[in-house]
Amino acid sequence: MSDGFSILERVVHQAGVRNGALASNIANVDTPNYKARDVSFGEVLGTEMGLATTDPKHLSGSRSEGAVELRTEDTQPWADGNNVELDQEVAKMTENAMFFQAGVTLLSKKIQMFKNALRTT
Amino acid sequence: MDSFGVFNVSASALSAQRQRMNVIASNLANAHTTRTAEGGPYRRQDVVFTTEPVIAGEAGLDGVKVDSIVRDDSPFTTVYDPGHPDADQDGFVAMPNVNVIEEMVNMMMASRAYEASVTSFNLSKSMYLKTLELGKV
Repeated sequence: MSDGFSILERVVHQAGVRNGALASNIANVDTPNYKARDVSFGEVLGTEMGLATTDPKHLSGSRSEGAVELRTEDTQPWADGNNVELDQEVAKMTENAMFFQAGVTLLSKKIQMFKNALRTT
Repeated sequence: MDSFGVFNVSASALSAQRQRMNVIASNLANAHTTRTAEGGPYRRQDVVFTTEPVIAGEAGLDGVKVDSIVRDDSPFTTVYDPGHPDADQDGFVAMPNVNVIEEMVNMMMASRAYEASVTSFNLSKSMYLKTLELGKV
């Protein structure tokens, strides 16, 4: 039951880190030789959340509180060596904020469930 | 980890872009200035940005700052205007190396980058405000 909490906590944490990376990209849109960075969400969620183990032979994913891996984008840079694409970064950031809010909303609902269970009519 | 570092990232971009805007405004204002304190026509200036970690040792949170303001040493444009007090014996006046169109384009870029950082600031703000609602029933 409390598993949900740790998964959601991780989702919110990852989204927070990604938000920072994307904000840095937007801030450095005109900095020469700056390379855009991002967090690979699919990989992060796959390894960090630990996929369901429905068979004893399944390996449970690592649940360590590892640091979030940032990768630099290797898209074609502009003439000044900078490869930030502003519109894409804003779009990613909006999407990430939605994801973050979804995680927080779910956490909130989970807390509400516990509160309801504890309530003595 | 500083949860609010991301706001400093956006704020650093706002101030850097504003500084860039000031330099562009100076260039536009002095597009026809033929006399300066150093002598000769006004020279166009430009800003150089560099990344600056908002929290020492915190990877992934890089703000931006104006590293330096450099002078553009490209040649002055010459205009034939014999009546001008700064004209040489052939009637040519050296005018600042400011290209108004180029400055306008740079100004639009600075303005868009500023807007993008405001958007990014607001998105971060909405995220953090949402977390404050946790546990509120």
